[in-house]
Amino acid sequence: MRTYDAMNPLAVAVQLLLTACITVFCMDPVLLGLSLCAAMALFFMRNGTGHKGFHALALGLPLLFMLLNPLWNQHGTSVLFFINHRAVTKEALWFGAVTGIRLAAVLYWFRTFSDLMTSDKLFYLLRFLSPKLALIFSMAVRNLTLFRQQMHKIQNSQKALGLYREKHLIDDVRGGIRVFSVLISWALENGIITASSMAARGYGIGKRSSCTNFRWKRQDIVLLLSALLLAGTVIVLIAKGYLERQFYPVIQPPVHGAFWYTAVIAYAALALLPLLHEGKEALIWYRLRSNI
Amino acid sequence: MLVIRSEKIRHMLGTALPFAIMPALVLLLPVGVQAQYYALVSFLMVVLALLLFLSGFERRELGTRRMILVSVMTALSVIGRLLPLIKPITALTILSALYLGREAGFLVGALSAVLSNFIMGQGPWTPFQMLAWGLIGLFAGIFAKPLMKSRLLLYGYGLLSGAAYSMLLDIWTTVWTYKEFTLHEYAAALATALPYTILYAVSNLLFLMIFTKPIGDKLMRIKKKYGL
Repeated sequence: MRTYDAMNPLAVAVQLLLTACITVFCMDPVLLGLSLCAAMALFFMRNGTGHKGFHALALGLPLLFMLLNPLWNQHGTSVLFFINHRAVTKEALWFGAVTGIRLAAVLYWFRTFSDLMTSDKLFYLLRFLSPKLALIFSMAVRNLTLFRQQMHKIQNSQKALGLYREKHLIDDVRGGIRVFSVLISWALENGIITASSMAARGYGIGKRSSCTNFRWKRQDIVLLLSALLLAGTVIVLIAKGYLERQFYPVIQPPVHGAFWYTAVIAYAALALLPLLHEGKEALIWYRLRSNI
Repeated sequence: MLVIRSEKIRHMLGTALPFAIMPALVLLLPVGVQAQYYALVSFLMVVLALLLFLSGFERRELGTRRMILVSVMTALSVIGRLLPLIKPITALTILSALYLGREAGFLVGALSAVLSNFIMGQGPWTPFQMLAWGLIGLFAGIFAKPLMKSRLLLYGYGLLSGAAYSMLLDIWTTVWTYKEFTLHEYAAALATALPYTILYAVSNLLFLMIFTKPIGDKLMRIKKKYGL
C-alpha cells in the first residue's frame, strides 16, 4: 500500500500547489466550497479528529472576517441595517462570506502541504534548480538541530558558572544575548572546519553524482499528468472569464453554462486526486486482505 | 539555462532582471493588466524573480567556505527566533550581507524566510517574505561600503528596511483580499498594519544596535583568520 505522502514529491507538490493556487485566485462560491470540502476531507483523513486548535483557527478567522468585512466595507448598494450610522450591506456580507471560505480553504491546503512536504522532500525538489543551493539548504536544516543542542550546552555551562540570578528579567535577556553570542563564535568556527574537511575530501573538484530515495513510478506520472491537465483546463477557463463573479455594487446573478460545469467538475477531480488515490489503495489493500 | 556568451551582459541581466525589471513590472501592472488577474500575475512575478536569481546562483563562484558560512548564518537567524524576545532575522541578514557579500545577503534572507516558515507556517505569503528579506540583504550588500563606515547610516537602513518589509507584504495583503490594487485600499492596509510596521522598524534598529559590534567583529575575525 502506497500512501499519498509516499508518492513522488514533485507530483504531490504540483497537485497541492495548483489546487491551492486556483483557490487563491478564484471567487466562485461553488468552486471555493468544493475546495474547502476537499481540503477538510483530506485533513481529517490524514490526521483523524485531533488538532482542535488548528480547526478553531482555520474556521474562526474566516468567520471573524465575514462578520467584520461589512463593518468597514461600504461598497454595496442593498442596505440591510445600520450600526453606528454605518450601513451594513448584503453585498459586503456575501463578499465577506466568500472571502472567508477562500481563506479557510487556503489555510487547510497549506497545512496539508506543510505536513506532506517535509524538508527532505523540499531538498529533493530544490535539486532540480541548483545542487549548490540544495546543499546550503540541507546544511542549514541540519545546523538548526546542531545549534539547538549546542545552545543547551552553553546555557548549562553558563548556569554552572553561576551567571544567572533567580527569575530576573534583565539578567535573562542579557544571558540570552550572551548565549547567542557564544553560539555564533562557535558556529562560525565549526562552519570553517566543515568547509575545510569538505575541501580535503575533494568537494568542488569535479562533477558529483548523487542518489535519492524518490523514484518515478507509473502512478506518479499519471498523477502529475492528470493534475497538470485538470489544472490547465480550470486555469484556461478562469482566464477566459467563465468563473468571474462581481460582488459590488450589486451581486451579479451567476451564469452557469457548459464551460462553468466543465471548470467545476475538472476542479473537483483535481482537488479530490489525493482522496481518490488513498481510496483506491485502501480498496486494493482490503481485497488483498480478504483473499488471504 | 540561458546561454549568453558575454560575461558582462549575463551578469548585468542576472541582477537587473530579478531586481529592477520584475519589481517595476509588479508595480506598473495595474495600468496594463485587468484588475482580476493582478493577484495571479504579481504572485507569478515574485516566484519567477526568485527562481531566476536562484538558478543564476549555481553558475557563480562563491567558494566552499563562504557557502558554508551562508548556511550557518541562515540557521543562526532562524534559531534566534526561538530565544525569548530576540527576532534577529533582519539584523543578521544585513550583517551577513555587509561582511560576506550581496549574494550571501540575499540567500540568508530568503532561506531564513522559508526555514522559519517551517515552524511558523508556510503559505502563499512565503515567496513575498523571501523576496522582501532577500532584497533587504541584497541592497545592504550593494551599499556595504557606506553602511560599514557610518553607524548612523546603518541604523537608518535598519529602520527603512523594517518599513519596506511591511509595505512590500502589504501589497500582497491588499491584492489578495481585494483582488485588485488601488491606492485607496493599499493605504487602508498600510494604516491597519502601522503598529506592526513601527514594531518591525524599531526592533530592527534595536537588534542592529545590539548585534552590529559583536557579530561584526566575529565575522571580521573569521574573514581575516581564514582569508575569505
